[in-house]
Amino acid sequence: MSVLLDHLPELWQGLVVTLQLTAASFLGAAVLGVVVTALRVSPVRVLRAIGTAYVETFQNLPLLVLLVLAFFGLPEIGVKAEPLTTAIVVISVYEAAYVGEALRSGVNSVSKGQGEAARAIGLTFTQSLRHVILPQALRTVVQPLGNIAIALIMNTALAGAVSIVELTTAAKNVNLVEAQPIPIFVGAGIAYALLAALVGLVTGRLERRLVILR
Amino acid sequence: MCMKKMIAVVAVALLGLAACGEADNAAVPGPSKTGKDVIGKAPVAAASDILPGSTMEKIKSRGELLVGGSLDAPLLSQQNPATGEVEGFDATMGKALAKYIIGEPKVKIVNSASETREALLANGTVDVVFQTYTITEERAKQVAFAGPYYTSGLTIAVKQGTSGIAKPEDLNGKKVIAGANTPAIPAIKKLAPQAEIVTFGSDPECLQALKQDRGVAYVQDETLLIAAAQKDPAIQIVTKPFTVDPYGIGLKHGDEQMKKFVNDWLGKIQADGTWQQIWKDSIGTVVQGDAPQPPKIGSVPGS
Amino acid sequence: MSTVLFDEPGPKARRRIRVATVLGTLAVVALAVLAVRQFAANGQLDADRWQPYATWPMWRYLLTGLGSTALAAVVSAALSMAFGLVLALGRLSHRRWVRGPAACYVEVVRVIPALLLVYVVLFALPRYGLDLPLFWKLAVPLTLSNAAAFAEIFRAGILSVERGQTEAGLAIGLTRWRTMRLIVLPQAARRVLPSIVSQSVGLLKDTSLGYVVSYGELLFSSKVLANYNGLLIQTYIVVAAVYLVVNMSLSKLARTLEARQRAGRTLSGRSSARA
Repeated sequence: MSVLLDHLPELWQGLVVTLQLTAASFLGAAVLGVVVTALRVSPVRVLRAIGTAYVETFQNLPLLVLLVLAFFGLPEIGVKAEPLTTAIVVISVYEAAYVGEALRSGVNSVSKGQGEAARAIGLTFTQSLRHVILPQALRTVVQPLGNIAIALIMNTALAGAVSIVELTTAAKNVNLVEAQPIPIFVGAGIAYALLAALVGLVTGRLERRLVILR
Repeated sequence: MCMKKMIAVVAVALLGLAACGEADNAAVPGPSKTGKDVIGKAPVAAASDILPGSTMEKIKSRGELLVGGSLDAPLLSQQNPATGEVEGFDATMGKALAKYIIGEPKVKIVNSASETREALLANGTVDVVFQTYTITEERAKQVAFAGPYYTSGLTIAVKQGTSGIAKPEDLNGKKVIAGANTPAIPAIKKLAPQAEIVTFGSDPECLQALKQDRGVAYVQDETLLIAAAQKDPAIQIVTKPFTVDPYGIGLKHGDEQMKKFVNDWLGKIQADGTWQQIWKDSIGTVVQGDAPQPPKIGSVPGS
Repeated sequence: MSTVLFDEPGPKARRRIRVATVLGTLAVVALAVLAVRQFAANGQLDADRWQPYATWPMWRYLLTGLGSTALAAVVSAALSMAFGLVLALGRLSHRRWVRGPAACYVEVVRVIPALLLVYVVLFALPRYGLDLPLFWKLAVPLTLSNAAAFAEIFRAGILSVERGQTEAGLAIGLTRWRTMRLIVLPQAARRVLPSIVSQSVGLLKDTSLGYVVSYGELLFSSKVLANYNGLLIQTYIVVAAVYLVVNMSLSKLARTLEARQRAGRTLSGRSSARA
């Protein structure tokens, strides 16, 4: 156990980076995901095709490949950013495909009458999406979004491949020095579990607050 | 102009695929003869040296030497994708040892992540380890080391035109690139404790990162950096090696019989020029001059 | 749903859409041209940097890697599905001492990064005398982590089968286990098939962690390749394309299955309505 205390600053720093990656990427993924959903249900066929292509591409590439490719490839086309920024953007873009799919199934779960009613009272596409459909869709997708958030936390561990010292990499580095894998990795595992539990707590709360009592 | 290039690329791709690649481009690997001739001339042990009941006899009757090594260490132990053969200094040494024991260079390379080499030897998954295995007294408590068979050291490379880095201490306060899980990391921590170390998974990634200014310097084994600097004029080596890493041949802990046998073999191939030829075919292709004086067998604490 | 949200665009709207499409396409093409120019200016499009990937030995090597990826994925998928089914049944058991541990496993493993499990198998187990062969260093953590995911899929599938089915099974005198095996599981399996395929695509993507344990799957093969020819970016672009093709085919399979299943369900729904 003392290993954990001795290296608390490094591990803590790793946890902070994991939190930064998680928070920023989830925000990015949420925003992008809404855009992707809007594209996929839009009236314009080209936009729908773009939305579909986006989801298809990013759901079918390993995140690790995307991270490495973006990290080394983007500077070659003149786009260079800090490693942390690159990782946040890549994880956002990747997870947005999943958020988009979750939101779309949420939109599809809203009963057809709602859409028809919205249109009947003269709302436009954007208005009916914003005021009628999405708020209802969000309720049904709180749980799936929570699962995506948990998966996203797990995925931030891959950022280690592009030189970012997040929690898993920090734990690995401490282990290289101390060679006491069990306490170190179990400690890191507990930290992840706590983070995920926090997400679970929040989604549970949200779901209870948003659920419509009929 | 880009379009033309693109079209050229596609055309070349199609043509190449159709022709199954008969290009003689440098980047296109073909069958390499590295190590073939030298193995042909390498010695074979006298039957009386293969003691009954020994590890050597076990290997001989199996007909294959199990070597713990890498597939992705250029010049030392790198798989040639074209042939599937593993080439380089360490790999050829392994083949030479196999020939010495079995009479034929029959080797199976077990790709070992460097953290588990001790365990692989202890539980008999591999017979020997040839994998830039630096002899230390700490490790010698868990494995037996024959050799050293080669001495290398870490050095520093920078992007052409970088100034202010001439010795390891200059790395303090700077961003330094190192390969993940390489000995460069503890060495930097010791000599330049204030350096910020950024790690990547492979040598080309580290080089690309250096070229893209992800760090001001790259600390790596001298041989690899010499090879890189030769291929790419944008990379410049700024120091002589600042560490001494004697590489040993890892053997099962306590197997004195095998250790003596391997040390005898090493003495023989150093005396008859096989060692020097293996060096010339691998590391010697990027380092100018004659093969260096091989390190004295048993000269390092732990060996 | 989506179709009721907007009217079929009229002539004016269609014209506007067309103009926007053209402008948008132009903007995207301009950006792409800029990017490609920069890419070429950095020498990344030079023919000799791509030529290796026009040769058969390189592809043979990559395809061998893909073979190892497939092997790791298939073995891990089979094992984690079996283990996942046991966990799902365990979680639904009416015995508390079975339910508790199964639920605990699923909830804990679900929130631990696969990479962390890989590190445990890679660094921790050998110290306690358990040094797995390379293949299992990848397959074991993948199995452990995906079993939890499969367990949840199976559990959802089993729960989605109407209670009446179980009750009917028990009523005609089948044991609990036979009811599960003969009545509930076959129906559940059909419903979760699409989820199973998409989870398997996820598993296939996870095999890229072989990069960390140096098991010779596709991504590690590309690392060896890049080490050999020094063409980092080209190699990763090629490998990304290979992953894309393989996974897209699998995803397409998932969609076909889903569509067929949906068709099947409406069909059976109709026939039961007729009855």
